[in-house]
Amino acid sequence: MLEAIVFWSLAGLVLLSALAVVTLRNTVHSSLFLGLSLAGVAGLFASLGADFLFAAQIMVYVSGIAVLILFAVMLLGRASDLHLRQVNDLWPTALLVCVVAGAGLFKVAAFFEGIVALEPPAPGTRAIGRLMLGDCLLPFELVSLALLAALIGAVFFCRSGGEENP
Amino acid sequence: MTLAHYLAVAALLFLVGLFGALTRRNIIGILMSIELMFNAANLNLAAFDRFLHPGGVAGQTLALFTITVAAAEVVVGLALLLAIYRGAGTVYVEDYNLLKG
Amino acid sequence: MIEHAYLIPLIPLAASLLVLFGGKEDPHSPMPWVAIGAMAVCLGLSWTIFQGAASGALALPYERNWEWFSFATTLGGKSFIYAMPVGVLIDAPAAVLLVVVSLVSLMVQVYSVSYMHGDPRYKRYFAFVSFFTAAMLGLVVSSNLLVTFACWELMGLCSYLLIGFWFERPGPCEAQKKAFMTTKLGDSGLYVALLLLYAKTGSFQLSQIRLFFEHGYMPAAVATAAALGLLLGAAGKSAQAPLFIWLPDAMEGPTPGSALIHAATMVAAGILLVAKTYFVFLASPVAMEAAAWLGLLTAFLAAAMALVSYDIKRVLAFSTISQLGFMMCALGVGGFTAGLFHLTTHAFFKALLFLGAGSIIHAVHTNDMRLMGGLSKKMPVTFLTMLAAVLAIAGVPGFSGYYSKDMILGAVWEHNRLMFGLLAFTALMTAFYMFRLFFLTFWGEGRDHDRHHHAHESPGLITAPLLVLALLAVFSGFGLSRGHLVERLLPKPVAAHPAAETAQAAPRPEQSAAPEAARAHPADHAHPIHHQEAEMPAPLASAVVALVLGAIGLAFLLYRGPTYPIADLLKSRLRPAFALLDRRWYLDDVFLALAALSDRVAALAFWIDANVIDRVFVDGWGLLTRVFAEIGNALDVHLVDSAVDGVGGLAADLGAGLRALVVDGQVQVYLAYAAVFGLAAAMLLML
Repeated sequence: MLEAIVFWSLAGLVLLSALAVVTLRNTVHSSLFLGLSLAGVAGLFASLGADFLFAAQIMVYVSGIAVLILFAVMLLGRASDLHLRQVNDLWPTALLVCVVAGAGLFKVAAFFEGIVALEPPAPGTRAIGRLMLGDCLLPFELVSLALLAALIGAVFFCRSGGEENP
Repeated sequence: MTLAHYLAVAALLFLVGLFGALTRRNIIGILMSIELMFNAANLNLAAFDRFLHPGGVAGQTLALFTITVAAAEVVVGLALLLAIYRGAGTVYVEDYNLLKG
Repeated sequence: MIEHAYLIPLIPLAASLLVLFGGKEDPHSPMPWVAIGAMAVCLGLSWTIFQGAASGALALPYERNWEWFSFATTLGGKSFIYAMPVGVLIDAPAAVLLVVVSLVSLMVQVYSVSYMHGDPRYKRYFAFVSFFTAAMLGLVVSSNLLVTFACWELMGLCSYLLIGFWFERPGPCEAQKKAFMTTKLGDSGLYVALLLLYAKTGSFQLSQIRLFFEHGYMPAAVATAAALGLLLGAAGKSAQAPLFIWLPDAMEGPTPGSALIHAATMVAAGILLVAKTYFVFLASPVAMEAAAWLGLLTAFLAAAMALVSYDIKRVLAFSTISQLGFMMCALGVGGFTAGLFHLTTHAFFKALLFLGAGSIIHAVHTNDMRLMGGLSKKMPVTFLTMLAAVLAIAGVPGFSGYYSKDMILGAVWEHNRLMFGLLAFTALMTAFYMFRLFFLTFWGEGRDHDRHHHAHESPGLITAPLLVLALLAVFSGFGLSRGHLVERLLPKPVAAHPAAETAQAAPRPEQSAAPEAARAHPADHAHPIHHQEAEMPAPLASAVVALVLGAIGLAFLLYRGPTYPIADLLKSRLRPAFALLDRRWYLDDVFLALAALSDRVAALAFWIDANVIDRVFVDGWGLLTRVFAEIGNALDVHLVDSAVDGVGGLAADLGAGLRALVVDGQVQVYLAYAAVFGLAAAMLLML
């Protein structure tokens, strides 16, 4: 019962704030709702028993990416944006695509109807750590390389413009 | 709660993200929508891990990698966005029409 | 130490990579000392192996293999997994050659430190030399023919790089291309031979192929084809006739590099290849005979060319070719020991000759011997070391060349008297042209006063290697032939003989311990070619020595200077012969003519094609077609075209409309298309 309440409230939070993200006219509000939605996903992770994923989601997405996007919005936003439409003319097509895709996805989801978790969730951080420094060592290192590349790339892109507009 | 519930939530989240990516005029909005889709995928991974592979962490680990790559993607994306904004002076994607044939 | 033999090629390889990529390119870079240090370590390793082999403490051949890769293959209708091993196979000849190669390379590198000093690509030069040596050492120790082939080709690459080291000039550029292409021509033969051996035996392992031969499973025709292919490869690499055309031009590179190519690495590789696969040759008398005559022809042609050349390095190049011919001839007549012995001694004195020539060129800044002369007082160390080398190559008793050449002549004497006569004559020519070089360079007066005045002895880093090599050139022959060490170290492989159970791969040390009489007629010679330790009759040997001394005397008379009346007279009288030799037997022209001829043939074929085939068939057919076409055209223009135009216009309108719809530069529109089509694909897959 408690699990159901938690799940439904978190699902509602996630979906409603996601809808707010894509529909609100004010981009600042959008990005704030993004943080909320991501936090809701973190909650879903917690309800799935993925403790480390929960922590990572909070740290990377909610406190990292959402804030970063908020900064970007504030950096690039203008007052006139508030009076402009934020949704383009493609929305009927998009809606159609989403409906069709939704039908397919729900069909897939229905395939897994009735599967419940039999055992209580266990903490997985230790196992993840072992996996990452064991079998997944190579992807782990590659991802760190990708992060380094992203770091350098970001610096590079921003720097070259920075010299033109001091 | 069954696996189907989680998958349904993830599917809806993904569709919302897809809708946003297709319709938002603001490029930052598109970026945010893409993040939503990433999260839907991560949710799927975590759910499958919990329900179909009890006691295992492979799905969570994969989700962690996704989060990492997504972080890198956002960083580079925002940097590119800043660069584009400097050049084009706008954040509305219909003005980015260098590819127009 | 032998279990670490695989390090011998790997150390210089690592050093070359380190030198190439480590540090900055700088004319005064200290990096060469890294390469030299590596080579010294290599020499140490090789020396311990050699000592073990010489004292009999090491059980040779030593073979050790590691798995490289494996693949499934079908051979003779059966499928099986073949694991390709890679490994080292060190037999006694390899032990000797390891020392020779690493020693000569070490000397060349020490010499180069001073010689190449200040060159803008100083560091790169040493990387190339190290790499070259690594490839050669790999060739020596490899137990696998595929790896051998790889090293072989790497050496081709290195020679290309070294010959064209000064690629800004046109000469080296041409020479490097010539060397590369000519050796590639030979390599094609080697490649075919390798494939043939593999197809027949299913292995690239030397030891296994050898077993195959020893049990007599190899058809004679295949053995002959393989041996001839190997011989072609060796002829390309070791500059045998007529593929020797690249070697005289190869001296466009830095002189120490030439020394390496001529003494230790490149040209030795061909001889070594024949030695490594000697069992193939033993199975094919035809190939043996071919090798012998090829070697003889090469020796003679090259020696004749050396008689008239005035370029000091070119004379040395011709002498290298000639000496290689001696070795090939020896191997061909069954004088395995003699051939490899000569390879060893030749490596020392030829390296010495080239380094000495480099020292001279360094001092007088020309290759032309007509501008030298009288250098003996100016450059005493070079003079004395060159004297040692020239005496050695001429075959004066007591010097190293004498022992090995004597052995070759002995082997040839047993085999074929005509061949012996020609080869002995070539040996006399050798003595003559080497002393011609020597007298022209060091004797008499300085013919170019300016150059002569500025000539001076080279620095210590150049003369030290000269002295070391001079000691070896003088004493290596005596040292190795003392107590029949060379027969023990370089034992002739036993010929394949299906009937003889005694045929074995391992060398037989007891053979050398046997008394002389027993050795001359070994009791257990099951093999058909049994004159391994053959010797000339004593009076004949003395006669040869006397004639050699006579040839030296003749050279002294003709070229002692300061003027050369007899030589000039000869030159004017025998102008056609001189011209023939000066143009190198017109072989370059022959090759060019062959190229031109193929061009002509192609042109002729083109003419036939254009004037006969085209006129009759194509044009006639065309006329016929045209008549029909005219009729068709009339129909086409009036009936079909209007319909086509209509369709085309429709398509164009449709395209324009679609394009306006699709290509509007909007990212999100593209994204929507991607979503729609992705969705469609997913649905298709799910259905």
